[in-house]
Amino acid sequence: MRHILKTCVAIAAFAVAVLTPASAQPIAIINAELHLAGSANNPRTIQNGSLVIDNGRIVSVGANVVAPANAQVIDAKGQPVTPGLFAPVSGVGLVEISLNSEATERSADDDFPLSAALDAEDALNTDSSIIAISRTAGLTRAYVAPTTGGKLFGGCGTVIDFSGSADPVTKSCVGQSVSLGFSGSTVAGGTKTGMMSLFRIYLEEATVYAKDPAEYRYMAAASDLSQADLKALMPFVRGEKPMFVEVHSAPDIRRLIKLQDDLGLELVLVGASEAWRVATELARADIPVIINPTDNLPRRFETMAATLENAARLEAAGVTVSFFDDDVHNVRLLPQLAGNAVANGMSHQGALAAITLNSAKILGLENQLGTLQAGKIADIVVWDGDPLELSTRPVSVIINGKVMSLENRQTVLARRYRELSRGDKPHAYRGE
Amino acid sequence: MAIFVGTQGQKKNNRHLTRALALLFLAGCGSGEKKDEKNADGSVQSMLTNPYPSTYEPYSGEPTVITGATILTSTGEVIENGAIFFRDGKIEAVGKADKIDAPKGDVVTIDGAGKFVTAGIIDNHSHLGVYPSPGFSSTSDGNEAVSPNTANVWAEHSVWPHDPGFTRALAGGITSLQILPGSANLFGGRAVTLKNVPSRTVQGMKFPDAPYGMKMACGENPKRVYGNKGGPSTRMANFSGYRSAWIDAADYKKKWQDYAEKSGNGEEADAPTRDLKNETLAGVLAGDILVNMHCYRADEMAQVIDMSKEFGYQVTAFHHVVEGYKAADILAENGICASVWADWWGFKLEAYDGVRENAALIHNQPDSCVIMHSDSGVGIQRLNQEVAKAVADGRRIGIDIPPEEAIKWITANPAKALGVLDKTGTLEVGKMADLVVWDGDPFSVYTKTSKVFIDGALMYDADDTSVSPRMDFEVGQQANRTTGGAGQ
Repeated sequence: MRHILKTCVAIAAFAVAVLTPASAQPIAIINAELHLAGSANNPRTIQNGSLVIDNGRIVSVGANVVAPANAQVIDAKGQPVTPGLFAPVSGVGLVEISLNSEATERSADDDFPLSAALDAEDALNTDSSIIAISRTAGLTRAYVAPTTGGKLFGGCGTVIDFSGSADPVTKSCVGQSVSLGFSGSTVAGGTKTGMMSLFRIYLEEATVYAKDPAEYRYMAAASDLSQADLKALMPFVRGEKPMFVEVHSAPDIRRLIKLQDDLGLELVLVGASEAWRVATELARADIPVIINPTDNLPRRFETMAATLENAARLEAAGVTVSFFDDDVHNVRLLPQLAGNAVANGMSHQGALAAITLNSAKILGLENQLGTLQAGKIADIVVWDGDPLELSTRPVSVIINGKVMSLENRQTVLARRYRELSRGDKPHAYRGE
Repeated sequence: MAIFVGTQGQKKNNRHLTRALALLFLAGCGSGEKKDEKNADGSVQSMLTNPYPSTYEPYSGEPTVITGATILTSTGEVIENGAIFFRDGKIEAVGKADKIDAPKGDVVTIDGAGKFVTAGIIDNHSHLGVYPSPGFSSTSDGNEAVSPNTANVWAEHSVWPHDPGFTRALAGGITSLQILPGSANLFGGRAVTLKNVPSRTVQGMKFPDAPYGMKMACGENPKRVYGNKGGPSTRMANFSGYRSAWIDAADYKKKWQDYAEKSGNGEEADAPTRDLKNETLAGVLAGDILVNMHCYRADEMAQVIDMSKEFGYQVTAFHHVVEGYKAADILAENGICASVWADWWGFKLEAYDGVRENAALIHNQPDSCVIMHSDSGVGIQRLNQEVAKAVADGRRIGIDIPPEEAIKWITANPAKALGVLDKTGTLEVGKMADLVVWDGDPFSVYTKTSKVFIDGALMYDADDTSVSPRMDFEVGQQANRTTGGAGQ
């Protein structure tokens, strides 16, 4: 992807700067079935392999790697070891309770004047319980993005790690949230014609503004977009950063591909129920797609061709695919989504790559994350079985080279109420 | 289920109908079983006729034997290298492949090697048909959110039998399901239990002789929806709303009982005026209609249980029960099923304390009744996966639930909560041949259904598109020409 190529050098420097200091002692994972999670056409698994982590990074990985004498050793007991799971879009850190306005930050009110200028990082709750709960399930990193509220744009999102650190940001303002398709039309006069016109006008205004703010002032005011929004859109209209666009139908996607060609935008499609119908064009245009592989209902006309085989068909066409679920609290179910993609024709390696490497690619971080390779940030999960299987859970989760606790408030609550008897003291005194 | 009753052939005779209604409340019949009772005048009174009776008829199937499969019977048994034989819609034999009576004559034999057979999957919390696909405002028929008490509405009058979601559920192994009204209201209305066989009419899907259910809701939903519409705006007003309604219903029931007594004694008596709300609520008090109550918090469930004792009814199942693990003993002691998700949590504050071990912790109580439900057109397609996750999380805290027990969560236990366990929900001789052939272990993410039989008829075959229903909405659509059949 073009934007990734442009930005990866800058990120390499940046990522080092934000890494949480790792423990001095190296970590060696031995006796592992290493899922290197290369690309789907280069599936590489090493049996009985080892992997060494030092100073937050993977320093060596392979069949003949020897653990340093001073290393903390984790015996994988022959079980799979994979890159940490990476959610390519989510609301973790922006939403605590979805239906309570007191506890959501993801979406501005419909009549709030700003949109593209909003930045998820300003609202990020680095203490969200969802972070630790997701980490226990093997999630190590996520792109956290606002949704669009009553506008076409929602603002920019940020990539964070799930270490629980006070500064979890891996990469700031990565992409811009955009709603097209039916959900966009409902906030743009009720039609897709209005929506696309408005979208083009916004982009044109931002383009003019990006060239010369003075010239912009002479434009006839055509839209309601604030100057702050236009300013925020500059890197997106220049094609330097991707827009994450919710869109579903094949005709809408084709329209968007044309727009991309005309304007030189970087696009990532989100939802994309009918993407498989446009798979060849998407592959040619190098547009990645983030889907829910269980999306198979004709909820609207624009999802008439939703099918469980979407992932497999996109993979076959060479499209970069990743997975998401709308449920912020269950970003931890990425492996189940991937497993269902496999059940419906996708390769196992491709499905694992979808929730590791492909997320990293989409976010321009594939040089830093997403595979088990020397030099990369050590986000690693040791599993107790096939990582995509329903009965499998992590036995060890490492983020930025540090072994993480697998405790969270849910594990504490379950322990607290394991015994229901009245006891010596009330439950409120138990189980911390 | 006999809230509307009448003598056979005289359904339109009001006098008979109202008298039968009174008889019902007098009898207080507690099950959906067909009851014939002698009237005072000696005629036989059928208690089961209702104005929207089931017209479901099983499709015919070949006598079939599946051999060599692993069979989870839902009676707590697993049969390796097992066989099951069914004919004329009923299971005739289940056992070891080399032990069951070899059927004679023309019998279809299915090689079950490497496959699993379970009872048909049953979801006791679905909104298919009332919130169908496409999900337009014109099809949003699941929640009469205009008044906190809409016990008068019946979900079956909203069900669109052509919802494509039914076909996706079928491909996921669903053979029966309860369609509930939504949870905005204290009393949401009557639920209906369906066989998952497509039909032109809802009546054609109604599970014959299944009792009715009624939907109630605790907590946040009613107060959120009605807080600015005259109330309830607090949980205490939720309770006052329930209790006032039960007082009215008890009064209504008594009026009909008095009337039945008088007319039974040959005295002149005027039948009370019918009231749809109270008919349903009085049906609950009489034990004919099963209460399904949406409730997340343990403390609220404990309050509801006290209320049920105050008014003399039984809660059949709490639904969602995200805090069930905090009250697992109380639920079990009171004989209430807990209808749960594996891992949904956090979308409301009352669902904030969800734990992945919830189902296992509830199951771990003696005489517990765990049900895995969907409340989702997506989740209903793979309830087996929800069970698998919850079992895995139980194992991690030392609660081992073998597959032959866990399968009950989506078969026998929902059948029990729907009042149809005597007919379906297990693989036992004499029961409806509602069963699923899986192409592997049903608790693996990679496993899919191979065949689904309902009343012995093959209704879904993963390998044969001619045995894969396509609803009207999807027929002839250019966009989905190559998407596949029911499972899409």
